[in-house]
Amino acid sequence: MFPSRFWIPAGLSALALVYGQATKPSKVVFDRQIRPLLSDACFSCHGPDEKNRMAGLRFDDKDSAMKVIVPGKRSDSKLFQRIQHADAARRMPPKGASRTLSPEQIELVGKWIDQGADWQTHWSYAPPKRPDLPTVSNPKWARNPIDHFVLARLDKEGLKPSPEADKATLIRRVSLDLTGLPPTPAEVQAFVADKAPDAYEKLVARLLESPHYGERMAMQWLDLSRYADTHGYHIDSHRDMWPWRDWVIQSFNNNMPFDRFTVEQIAGDLLPNATRAQKLATGFNRNHMINYEGGAIADEYLTEYIMDRVETTSVVWMGMTMGCARCHDHKYDPISQRDFYRFFAFFHNVDEKGLDGREGNAKPMLPLPDALQESRLKELDTAIKAREAQMPQKEVDAAVETWASTASPSDGPHGAVAHYELDGSLSDLSGAYHHARITNGNPLFSASPAGQSLGFDGEAEVEWGRFGHFDRGDAFSIAMWVRSNNRLAQTLIEKSGIALRLEAADSIGDLKRGALLRVQLGDGLEVRTKPHVVMSTWNHVVVTYDGAGIRVYLDGRLAGTEVLKNQPASFKSDAPWKSSKLRSNIDDLRIYARAVTAEEAFQLAVDAPVRAMAAIPAAKRSKEQKDKLRDYYLTYAAPETQRKAYAELRQLLKDRTKLEKEIVTTMVMDELPKMRDTFVLARGDYRNRTEKVTPAVPANLPPLPAGAPPNRLGLAKWLVDPSHPLTSRVAVNRFWQIYFGTGIVDTSEDFGSQGAPPSHPELLDWLATEFIRGGWDVKAMQRLIVTSATYRQSSKATPELVERDPQNKLLARMSRFRMPAEMVRDNALATSGLLNPEVGGRSVYPYQPAGLWEEMAYGDVFSAQTYTPSTGKDLYRRSMYTFWKRTVPPAQMSTFDAPDREKCVARRARTNTPLQALVLMNDPTYIEAARKLAEKVIQADKRPAERIRLAFQVASARVPSASEVKLLAMLADQQKAAFAKQPENAKKLVRVGESKSAVRDDIELAAWTTVASAILNLDEVISKE
Amino acid sequence: MDPRKELALSLTRRHFFGLSSTGIGVAALSTLQAKGLSGLPHHPPTAKRVIYLHQSGGPSQLDLFDYKPQLQKRQGTELPDTVRMGQRITGMTSGQSSLPVASSVFKFAQQGKSGAWVSELIPHTAKVVDDLTIIRSMNTDAINHDPAITFIQSGSQQPGRPSMGSWVSYGLGSDNENLPAFVVLISQANALNVDQPLFSRLWGNGFLPSSHQGVRFRGGAEPVLYLEDPPGITRDTRRQMLDVIGKINKLRADSYHDPEIETRISQYEMAYRMQTSVPDLMDISKEPESTFELYGPDARKPGTYAANCLLARRLAERGVRFVQLYHRGWDQHNDLPRDLALQCKGTDQASAALVADLKQRGLLDDTLIVWGGEFGRTVYCQGKLTDTNYGRDHHPRNFAMWLAGGGMKRGFVLGETDDYSYNITSDPVHVHDLQATILHCLGVDHKRLTFKFQGRHFRLTDVHGELVKKILA
Repeated sequence: MFPSRFWIPAGLSALALVYGQATKPSKVVFDRQIRPLLSDACFSCHGPDEKNRMAGLRFDDKDSAMKVIVPGKRSDSKLFQRIQHADAARRMPPKGASRTLSPEQIELVGKWIDQGADWQTHWSYAPPKRPDLPTVSNPKWARNPIDHFVLARLDKEGLKPSPEADKATLIRRVSLDLTGLPPTPAEVQAFVADKAPDAYEKLVARLLESPHYGERMAMQWLDLSRYADTHGYHIDSHRDMWPWRDWVIQSFNNNMPFDRFTVEQIAGDLLPNATRAQKLATGFNRNHMINYEGGAIADEYLTEYIMDRVETTSVVWMGMTMGCARCHDHKYDPISQRDFYRFFAFFHNVDEKGLDGREGNAKPMLPLPDALQESRLKELDTAIKAREAQMPQKEVDAAVETWASTASPSDGPHGAVAHYELDGSLSDLSGAYHHARITNGNPLFSASPAGQSLGFDGEAEVEWGRFGHFDRGDAFSIAMWVRSNNRLAQTLIEKSGIALRLEAADSIGDLKRGALLRVQLGDGLEVRTKPHVVMSTWNHVVVTYDGAGIRVYLDGRLAGTEVLKNQPASFKSDAPWKSSKLRSNIDDLRIYARAVTAEEAFQLAVDAPVRAMAAIPAAKRSKEQKDKLRDYYLTYAAPETQRKAYAELRQLLKDRTKLEKEIVTTMVMDELPKMRDTFVLARGDYRNRTEKVTPAVPANLPPLPAGAPPNRLGLAKWLVDPSHPLTSRVAVNRFWQIYFGTGIVDTSEDFGSQGAPPSHPELLDWLATEFIRGGWDVKAMQRLIVTSATYRQSSKATPELVERDPQNKLLARMSRFRMPAEMVRDNALATSGLLNPEVGGRSVYPYQPAGLWEEMAYGDVFSAQTYTPSTGKDLYRRSMYTFWKRTVPPAQMSTFDAPDREKCVARRARTNTPLQALVLMNDPTYIEAARKLAEKVIQADKRPAERIRLAFQVASARVPSASEVKLLAMLADQQKAAFAKQPENAKKLVRVGESKSAVRDDIELAAWTTVASAILNLDEVISKE
Repeated sequence: MDPRKELALSLTRRHFFGLSSTGIGVAALSTLQAKGLSGLPHHPPTAKRVIYLHQSGGPSQLDLFDYKPQLQKRQGTELPDTVRMGQRITGMTSGQSSLPVASSVFKFAQQGKSGAWVSELIPHTAKVVDDLTIIRSMNTDAINHDPAITFIQSGSQQPGRPSMGSWVSYGLGSDNENLPAFVVLISQANALNVDQPLFSRLWGNGFLPSSHQGVRFRGGAEPVLYLEDPPGITRDTRRQMLDVIGKINKLRADSYHDPEIETRISQYEMAYRMQTSVPDLMDISKEPESTFELYGPDARKPGTYAANCLLARRLAERGVRFVQLYHRGWDQHNDLPRDLALQCKGTDQASAALVADLKQRGLLDDTLIVWGGEFGRTVYCQGKLTDTNYGRDHHPRNFAMWLAGGGMKRGFVLGETDDYSYNITSDPVHVHDLQATILHCLGVDHKRLTFKFQGRHFRLTDVHGELVKKILA
């Protein structure tokens, strides 16, 4: 189908192809040479975007373009006249446009017109057709069809493939590629020794069955699916999506066909009788960021989540940049703004909130109880039901009413020196007339559970009165309700040296803050509570002094205290009692000239408020008051059997809540029963709703398969329909990228008219059709690629070849490149023997410089704001399990080009920087790995050269040359001497990292640690050759 | 030169730079990067470098630069609908039954020859006002921190785009072979109520090669991550290790001819040099007493705003292209009089000192200093309004920033707002306009510094941005 593609010269990109082409007398190919040029220079005004189209002319459409093209005659073609017009004012692209055409490009267009202006649709929009295998110069070289396509191209270029890589290189390469881990020396030896003709194929088969294969494949999928362990945006607290990550790993390991892999992730929840795993799989489209910044507008973010799903889904499955059509018709590809919002509608029907995620996962979620938890849940529910049956609502309500009208719980101990009910007045109800007065500002009364309370705003001051001039040895008590409204330290009440203070509030878990209460009696006595006074809720506080010691009761129960000071000192003063500068509400303040008893403290906290509530007529009680009364009745006043059942019920409910919190959840897609309305949003702004639209696939692509529902399930089936031109091409291209560093289409995220054209178009189509033909068998596709002769070539280049094809697009050698971030670290861990090979599970916290999160994080009560490193074997898990905080991604990984996972990434950059050198030289991870490697070789052999050989082999799979051994031996000698002179340095070095040293001689170990570190820093060790 | 080779080279520099390994070698701080893109600068620059003092949280223009004496009479009155004009407000005050006007409790006075109005909170800034261009008519599209700060730093409210510093690093490269082109310094809030996170995306590279990421220099023992040799490794040992690593790498390069290996060798040497150049940069012990008098005693404490301003000067002296400071804590939803005063106390002297110091060293002429937050604050009170206390919510419709040096007018004020500092009445400057103008000063046409990603030629200013000619000297 594409016979003319083969003679395209050593192209580096669209531009290179075009450039190279201009000097050749051969036929110009529209799809490869002209469209990219028109797309880049002309489409923004003469392209698919209808609103911004000038002169009604579009060069993405043949009929329109032919209005200004006369095939065969460049000089008669208006297009050509305008692009080479002598008058700058008439020349296209116009002055001020961001793109221009070079003379070579103009010439190319002219030649294309002269040759008849052939027109083809953009290659990626036509379904791939299986090409015949091309004939090649050396059929014997080819091990499978891939090689025919590659060799045919090399033949055209006059190049020869490189020889096969040596076996050590090969096993390291394919082990890293298929499992992300290096081979052990024993594995290398066995493979080198295996002379069977299918030794390599057996190796590949073994690697494909390794549980680490799924991890390796998942690495790429996690970038695509923007997997992270936090929500991103502002607060960036944690989420639990690792069960979904486990699903991905297992799916690759089980070789789930790619079509099923697709359908389950996009619409597993909509499959008939969806299993738990199928629902779990839909987490793919919940991996986007979720916001709950204070004050943010829910609609705005809900819109962003769906935008993200559209962008991610279109890039991942179709290599399409649909995001460009959010604000206007796509400038380059045939996707209208309407197409975009119809696609958007597929994902706009999830039962989710715009602002969510404060407590971890955001709804909809799927609970994932294990078998034990599931049976425990059932048990609890049965037990809860049984208890509830013992206290029917109506019966209890009636009993409460009867009780409330007759019973009278204590209103607290009498005999207060002063008692302020604070129900709208500052009067003292004790009978002693110590009425309080406002001395500053404007404290406000507001509703509280038992009437009203007094609110202080930080400025208001109240003077309670001059009384109770207690001194050391005089018993007294202070009781009050307090609801703190501020995080800062504050004084609740004071009188000269006597003070009740709340310290600054801290996070106390469950998204709550709490403050410790400090009681000070003069300079002599000071205590602080161990439990916290919880912010933003009502707490009852009683402080008693019996003349010797202080006791504090919180909510009626004696609270543990820490004595900060205990010396004899007077605190007598005749100053008034005051409350000032606090930011709290206080209620029912009472001061006694005696130490109230524990029983009395309980009465104050529990009985007194209930008494007040009971006095309110039933009809006037609030829900909260009703619940409180009911609770009190069932706890203290009901018949004994009921009281017992109620106590049990409360415990059971507590247990259930606790269990629910323990059960892992994961975020999933879940369809709303009634479809939400979707509108085209003008300029992509959530506020500008225009035309109402229904879900549909882009008009330029095939329609939904017959009978497919217009929902996510239909969409998923459409994507994997064999007639879809993009899905399989995009998938195989990304597999290719894993092995060769770049895809056959360089821009693996963009197969549109602005993307790079394929370097081997027929190969891409052959692989794409083969993938479908083989039932989307993912492992088979990997096997096919890695068993090709192309893959098995040596990566040794010549200076000429590097100059001719720096990118290795022609594949006259194997690509050689630095490993991805995760592998760089995993390789060091594996080499040293530290690696914990456990597969799956929760994310972990390896070494990271202190303070990285804390310096930037929101902090406060939220999760994932402070970094606590793991200990033990969790320090050495594979890097893909490192906790990924989006706003502060793992430092060592970002340095090696790992993305921050805020957005979908289809390919990573690959840089080579001094910061990477610093990580490998100095990060404790790598120092510890070097030490463990040193220990291994010290214990294995006494001879320096042998130690070096072993270390080198473990790290690189190859035997070092004599000169390499010599260089490293010299380093060993040098360092041994240096550490012998400064043994304290040796001691420091060998103590880096948590693991224990197996070698006692610090100097020996330190010297060999430097040797091992040097080896781990070699370019070859962090590269895949 | 062979046209093909030339092409390969230019492609390497532009399109392939870091997208994949290339024949030339991709290096963060290598010679290639040091030169930046060919064809840049587009025009003669007025600034060689930028020091951007980002005040995270949104400093109140009403209490610092936008003097509205007539508001005292309107204290406590409702913000008129004719002023608000139905504009959206955040979820924090949208539920408030009343939006009462809160006039500033702070005194303002006209300062310098230019006579610009400046609040009593920033007496040091007042002294250098004749070196500043104050813009009172900044405006942004976003209303909450995350999108607003992402917008002003990357030109887009949603994450994913390169930050301003990484665009500059990408376009212009580094002027110093031993230091990164784009350095980030962070200091913590002075205010008591603090809830301002930062995100690494603010200095992220987006879709540019990650070598253009801002490099954080932290206060304390290890200013650059992993800069320090591990305990027990001496400089001699490090040198000897590097020699062996370099030699073995060279052997590999000779047999594989992969240019990446040569690049790696030079990057290890660069790392080694950074281990000296960075501590040298951070070592302020040789600064004379007068420096600390100028910047204030906080400048001796690593990690403070003052210390970071001093570092910014030292980085500018060494030719670092883009120095980005972040100071947290400007989000005064409540207790503004207390917390804004604390913020100003913690920053005013050092900000002004930086201007004065660069000026006395002759560096202000080619260094552009930018001061400001991501949005302003509302005239109406958030929470309870009293005579002495109030809070202000986020206000995107106008806010104040200042710029100094590197091509800016000196002693100039641009823009007017209405009586409520709620709407701009003249010379609006949008965030994209500011970005276009900063790039312009660096000799960069914001429309021409682009990067092709997902088929589109992206730029810092998206498809917007007008040069603010009125503020150019």
